[in-house]
Amino acid sequence: MSLAIAGMGWITPLGSGVDSVWEQLLHGDEAFATTITEEFGDRSYSVFRVPESALKSAAHPRLRRASVISRFAAAAGLDALNAAGLKIDSHNAQRTALIFATSNGGVIYTKRFYRDVVSAGAQSASPLLFPETVFNAPASHLAAILGISGATYTLVGDGAIGLLAIKMAEDLMANEAIDYCLVVGAEEIDWLLCDAYRRWRLLRAAPPIEPFSKQNRGMILSEGAGAILVAREGPFIVECAHPGGYFARRAEAEETLKRILRDLSQGEIDLVVAGANGTFVDEAEYRALKAVVPNAFVYTAKPALGESVGAAGLWQVILAVQALRFAELPPVLHADPACSLRLPRSRTPVAKARRAMVLSCGLNQQAAGLCLAIR
Amino acid sequence: MAQAGNTNESNIGARVAVVAAGVVSPLGVGLTETLQSLRNARDCVSPVTRFSVAQCRCKTAGQVPDNRLLAGQDEGRRSRRLHRSSHMMIHALKEVLTQEPHFKPELTIIGTTSGGMSYGERYYRSLRQPEDLRHAPTWIANYPAQKPVIDAQEIFGISAPCQVIANACASGTNAIGHAFECVRSGRYQRVLAGGYDALSEMVFVGFDSLQASTPDKCRPFDRHRTGMVLGEGAAILALENFAAAQERGAPVLAEIIGYGISTDNFHITQPNPSGIGPQQAMEGALQSAQVSAKEVDYINAHGTATVFNDAAEGKAISKLFNGVPVSSTKSMMGHSLGAAGAVEAVFCLLALQHQFLPSNINFTASDDDFDLNIVANEARPAVLHAVLSNSFGFGGTNASILMRSFKE
Repeated sequence: MSLAIAGMGWITPLGSGVDSVWEQLLHGDEAFATTITEEFGDRSYSVFRVPESALKSAAHPRLRRASVISRFAAAAGLDALNAAGLKIDSHNAQRTALIFATSNGGVIYTKRFYRDVVSAGAQSASPLLFPETVFNAPASHLAAILGISGATYTLVGDGAIGLLAIKMAEDLMANEAIDYCLVVGAEEIDWLLCDAYRRWRLLRAAPPIEPFSKQNRGMILSEGAGAILVAREGPFIVECAHPGGYFARRAEAEETLKRILRDLSQGEIDLVVAGANGTFVDEAEYRALKAVVPNAFVYTAKPALGESVGAAGLWQVILAVQALRFAELPPVLHADPACSLRLPRSRTPVAKARRAMVLSCGLNQQAAGLCLAIR
Repeated sequence: MAQAGNTNESNIGARVAVVAAGVVSPLGVGLTETLQSLRNARDCVSPVTRFSVAQCRCKTAGQVPDNRLLAGQDEGRRSRRLHRSSHMMIHALKEVLTQEPHFKPELTIIGTTSGGMSYGERYYRSLRQPEDLRHAPTWIANYPAQKPVIDAQEIFGISAPCQVIANACASGTNAIGHAFECVRSGRYQRVLAGGYDALSEMVFVGFDSLQASTPDKCRPFDRHRTGMVLGEGAAILALENFAAAQERGAPVLAEIIGYGISTDNFHITQPNPSGIGPQQAMEGALQSAQVSAKEVDYINAHGTATVFNDAAEGKAISKLFNGVPVSSTKSMMGHSLGAAGAVEAVFCLLALQHQFLPSNINFTASDDDFDLNIVANEARPAVLHAVLSNSFGFGGTNASILMRSFKE
């Protein structure tokens, strides 16, 4: 069963609007890094934040007290529906499913809630904050704003979760009672996350992200959301969403990725939107891509947009669709000149590209992939 | 309402068998202990020992003792680093594989609400005292929600991809329901499904802050109910295409025959008082299974014992069913959140296999707002063919699954 992409939306550190951000990427733009400082010390972290102007469409009473991750999800989800011209009404409210994907969820309110508990005791715990700490709070807000009353799921995982959510959409739409599935991935930034990734030696002190570099200097975290409305008809089809896999140890990531690539590359693959982010992921992807699809163009937007974890997979799918749609790839920024993959070093036409693969290797043992084609 | 499966009579899809199950909860480790506790209507709620509850209204929870959890597990360094959730999942999966050693799932779908939250708490607390941070990488590594699933699978050499559903307190039922759909559609032959959650301070305090938890006993559907108590646990069901299971001679413990899911957009923490959300989920499960309400012999209710939740669910059950026996087994072990739907599905499985009604303990008086046939305080023998299990959660997410005893 193949599915179509009927609409897309994203909220990124380069702003919102699928075509607007795409145009910036084609021009080689990269997000502006800001710094956030930890609460208990003076360590600072470089991050790529979403500009407030990108969230205009997320002004809804339901979001008044919601965490920023819910606002990202709502803005991207609404944009995807608008792009598809779909209005949720009494006829399709139960025939439209919602899948929300995230890795860390509402970390800002979670930390704030627990901080109050630790510093002032359980009696200081806020009953207003607690519901927003739950992983499915953004999905709940988005379902309420859109009026979706049928199936709503929140999926949690690592950077592969966006693609796994599309796989779940494929499974859900095997049921003829569902016409559309809105898949939204989102993440918000907090210093606590930066500290955690730093302790895992995955974070870089300052940009740039250098993809496919042998040094694995690390990533820069970013925030935002991506949304895709999956339907049965449309010019871009999801030929196959791989169920994914996991690797018990980082050294096994390469083999997991190879298996996914082999399963997906039954036909010719013109380009791959990879997840390379300056960490151990890059070498695993490099080796897998080199072994299985050595002739495909390989693009990663992480140097320009940062590592948005739960949103990243959806962004990658949007990038692949845009590349097929406009037959062009943006430049891969800050790539190792010695990298022997077929990286577009400048804005590169891909006139005959018909099939694209999206590959995602998460930082917490999950990997996934999917194959897109232009009809 | 959202019915989860194709309801066209000519295309209802494949039958879905439960071929193995594993469970860990305050009621016991494994099916045998659990059955005994259910039959004896054991109250397994006890004073909280894992963290201070001095400032909380509620002081009790259903807890799995550490000595039981760690018994029989690898004592190596890696095992000691694992979160309690991982140990619970390992126990549950081990029990499944003891029954079905050659079960090779193509997909694993597990529900949770909070993953390795207590490690997140330790990490955050340690940041305030930097000298204690040497274990931070371990806590961070074992915090992600998918980690306990991967840990359990890795130990037993299972390489299936994992989906972790976090639909609040409905997660476990959603995981089983979605797994049921995956097999029924023919897209998968074998899926592991379940849920887990371990007690954590943050979640405990959170429910206390909402005044959803009670300093009293947990009394679901009672006129004098004052709230929930929390619990913990893990449970896994092995689902398989019925024909494939029969072909290889696997024992069929029961069938899952229906799944309903609805989203009630009323409020992030409260259900629509009309009960429309639970009603739609239950109607969806019935339609998905193509059975009538009259054919349901027992309902394992969500029944948290909060005033609003029980009222909404009670009204919905009263509206759809006429005198069907109802109990909330949370009265015995507390609410295990993301595990609840999976643990309660195992209770339903045991009820079907052993033909009895699990009880709703601490019950003193009926609530005039709804008309329910509560299985009060004692388990009862009964003839059961079909049972319904409900789970509802924050964010207005509602799920129901329907199970049937195996019929040739």
